[in-house]
Amino acid sequence: MNLEHSQPLEYSTKQNDLNIFGFWIFLGAEIMLFATLFTSYFVLENRTGSGPAGSEIFEITPVLIETLLLLTSSFVIGLGIHAMRLGKTKAMISFFAITLLLGLGFLSFEIFEFVHYVHVGAGIQTSAFTASLLTTLGTHGAHVTFGLFWGTAIILQVKKRGLTPETANKSFIFSLYWHFLDVVWIFIFSFIYLKGMM
Amino acid sequence: MEFFERFAIPHPSPAIYASMVVIALTVVAIIAGLTYFKKWGYLWREWLTTVDHKRLGLMYIISAILMLFRGGVDAIMMRAQLATPDSKLLDAQHYNEIFTTHGVVMIMFMAMPFIFGFMNYIVPLQIGARDVAFPRLNAISFWLFFMGAMLFNISFVIGGSPDAGWTSYFPLAGTDFSESVGTNYYMIALQISGLGSLMTGINMITTILKMRAPGMTLMKMPMFTWSTLVANLIIVTVFPVLTVALAMGTMDRLFATNFFTSSNGGMDMLWANLFWVWGHPEVYILILPAFGIYSEIISTFSSKNLYGYTSMVASMVIISVLSCLVWAHHFFTMGQGAASNSFFSITTMAIAVPTGVKIFNWLFTMWKGKIRFTVPMLYSIGFIPLFTIGGVTGVMLAMSAADYQYHNTMFLVAHFHNTIIPGVVFAMLAGLTYYWPKMFGFMLNERIGKWTFWALSIGFVLAFFPMYITGLDGQARRMYTYSESTGFGPLNMLSFIGAGIMAIGFVLIVYNIYYSIRYAPRNIGSDPWDARTLEWATHTPVPEYNFAITPAVNSIEPFWDAKKKKHVLFPEPLKKIHMPNNSGMPFILSAIFFVWGFSFVFAIWPLLIISTLGIFACLACRSFENDHGHYISLEEIEETEEKLGGAKK
Amino acid sequence: MKELFPAKQVMGFVFSLILTAIALLVYFLDLSFTAGLTILVVTAFIQALLQLVVFMHAGETKDKWAIYGNVYFMILIAMITIFGTLFLFVWDM
Repeated sequence: MNLEHSQPLEYSTKQNDLNIFGFWIFLGAEIMLFATLFTSYFVLENRTGSGPAGSEIFEITPVLIETLLLLTSSFVIGLGIHAMRLGKTKAMISFFAITLLLGLGFLSFEIFEFVHYVHVGAGIQTSAFTASLLTTLGTHGAHVTFGLFWGTAIILQVKKRGLTPETANKSFIFSLYWHFLDVVWIFIFSFIYLKGMM
Repeated sequence: MEFFERFAIPHPSPAIYASMVVIALTVVAIIAGLTYFKKWGYLWREWLTTVDHKRLGLMYIISAILMLFRGGVDAIMMRAQLATPDSKLLDAQHYNEIFTTHGVVMIMFMAMPFIFGFMNYIVPLQIGARDVAFPRLNAISFWLFFMGAMLFNISFVIGGSPDAGWTSYFPLAGTDFSESVGTNYYMIALQISGLGSLMTGINMITTILKMRAPGMTLMKMPMFTWSTLVANLIIVTVFPVLTVALAMGTMDRLFATNFFTSSNGGMDMLWANLFWVWGHPEVYILILPAFGIYSEIISTFSSKNLYGYTSMVASMVIISVLSCLVWAHHFFTMGQGAASNSFFSITTMAIAVPTGVKIFNWLFTMWKGKIRFTVPMLYSIGFIPLFTIGGVTGVMLAMSAADYQYHNTMFLVAHFHNTIIPGVVFAMLAGLTYYWPKMFGFMLNERIGKWTFWALSIGFVLAFFPMYITGLDGQARRMYTYSESTGFGPLNMLSFIGAGIMAIGFVLIVYNIYYSIRYAPRNIGSDPWDARTLEWATHTPVPEYNFAITPAVNSIEPFWDAKKKKHVLFPEPLKKIHMPNNSGMPFILSAIFFVWGFSFVFAIWPLLIISTLGIFACLACRSFENDHGHYISLEEIEETEEKLGGAKK
Repeated sequence: MKELFPAKQVMGFVFSLILTAIALLVYFLDLSFTAGLTILVVTAFIQALLQLVVFMHAGETKDKWAIYGNVYFMILIAMITIFGTLFLFVWDM
């Protein structure tokens, strides 16, 4: 473990550097994963069968709240990484905790939204449109859910072990993941909801 | 009892019951053998928990060879059934199952792991690295592939084989027309092994871009490493597409969604579309590393450096983009308009240009070279004309208007076997022969190897060239029989004979391995072929840490320069070496994935939930684990080097 | 306390809120489909780039060429997949 002090802690070992780089490649794969979901959605969005269309079931208020929650959480985790680079462990943990709380808020609204869809007769079996809509949203939601558990594990580790090259590395990678989920949401917000309600 | 009825075979035959007995006996024999010889501990410590890229590579290759024989038996059964008109050897259902498993096994569980095996074994050695970037992830990749393959392979004795073709087009693959769990097996097993492939992709890209020996710039990388980089870039790009398509197919089958159904807005063509968005680049994932192996072999045995290195690299990069631009040529007849068909025709034909560049580069490499006709070189020389014929018929198929004549005929079957067998299979056998001494410390017998080459080449021509003719005459693929009045009989008999000769060739490979283990000399040194690149610069057998000293690179062929131009390969002093620890986690995680997949296939929900929790428990364990690897001390390295014949200079 | 809120990131956040507000215009104003979609495409991609550069620090190491190269390659193939599929199934069917 040869430490290089010219770089931030999360890059400081060879393995750390590799981890961050590899995670970027993984995010490339995630781009394609969501691109495929979008491809299917765009092909199927007007194939509603006997079910409702998007403009009939989308509601702006919960969607906007979800967007703001996720945008803010992305900003806050950015502050967390900034605090980490300043070596302020406590501030970093607080920022990470706020991020996860905002994520939890997002998830609650999304679950509420899903219940609403099922309630108005847009369940996953209703039509090709609802299947691809709920799968796309669900894949993003599953990523957020996974992120909540992952983030919690990281907070616990930082608390227990302090900021070491390893915990800093994990935290930074988690922040990349979280920002990426925000980017995906921007596209869902723009090209599923707003386009559907336009 | 009702619970167990779901595991019954829906369409049994004596052959399947016989297979069940054989499988059971084999499992018992393996367990008994391991117990009797007290090898459980050895198996666990040295293989199941290993994170060494060389051992994982070997396990990939061994699995691939086993799967080659499984898929090969399928092929022989198909050819036997079609050898005579109105044959009653197999019925329609069995024929469907066999061509489906033949395709899936050969592509996903033979060709892919064979290539991964070479990537794993060779790439870190070629770039002078100690291991891949993420050794533990590498082990997970292998075990996920292995468990996916096993899950797929038990389908024909538990619950029934998939029978909707290796492409599993909907609505045929939907629950209306494929009621058995067979297609569930297809969806889930490919999902699991696909996950492994994606991880390998990430791992290899990171390894190649970040772990090269000092001095090895991108344009000084050996050609196989370059081809691996490009192939893995394509893997990371397109495997997520397959993931999504399989997930949607699974949901259609198990949760009654309407992605690919014919009602409620579902669109069956979308499956074909997504499948080929992945599927077409997939064939380049297979062929590019094969090209890389040919490049190494042709250069070594022509005793010349590779002609047109830059254009080789450029053509591969161009192929990586073009390969993602051509997928619709697999369904020109689906009913879309002339404009899109024309577009995809042109892009498809364009791929012939970079491929042609590579063919000419190989020819120019041999031009005026001192060619040694070894077995690997024979495969490479045989590859060039045979593969070119496959490429030319590919351009024929690329013309969308003409494709209406060829679509779904034996002409197509002949075409893609003509590219995959001389392209990929020959490359794998050439690579196996070429790298065998590096892997095992002795060479395969050249005489038997040459017999094998001729059996495979002649068998291949006899088996597949007749299909071009019967295909143009209208013999459809995937039809389990034909009437005598069609006149297809004699040519199909010829195909069967060719397939038989190929089978002899594959048996000869096994005999060759047996023969060489017994009789081949062991004192061959570490560079038996007089090769040019870094993988030959270390000891044979390769020590755990690959290179005691990280090599210094000055050109594309540092080892050749060290031999001929007094380049100093290992200028630095010995230092202690950091290595990753072994771990049982990848194997355990993948075993849980197997249970997860099995319970998904049969919709056993409680077990599915338990195994899902198990998977997450493994991930959590990994997250909280503190594992810093270990150091190999100077004394240990010196001792090992001494045992292997002194330090390399 | 102030050092915990760097100007660059705060500005980034404000800017992303503004972009979201602009995107919302397509909901509140009665725009043509083309105009609305143009706004969405522009705001979404700027927003993504903003996250990439400001929050994800994509360009901070010497590997930036590979990181950006990888992301752009994936976006290129993603676009090919989306528009190629739409070409086949919507615009040319």
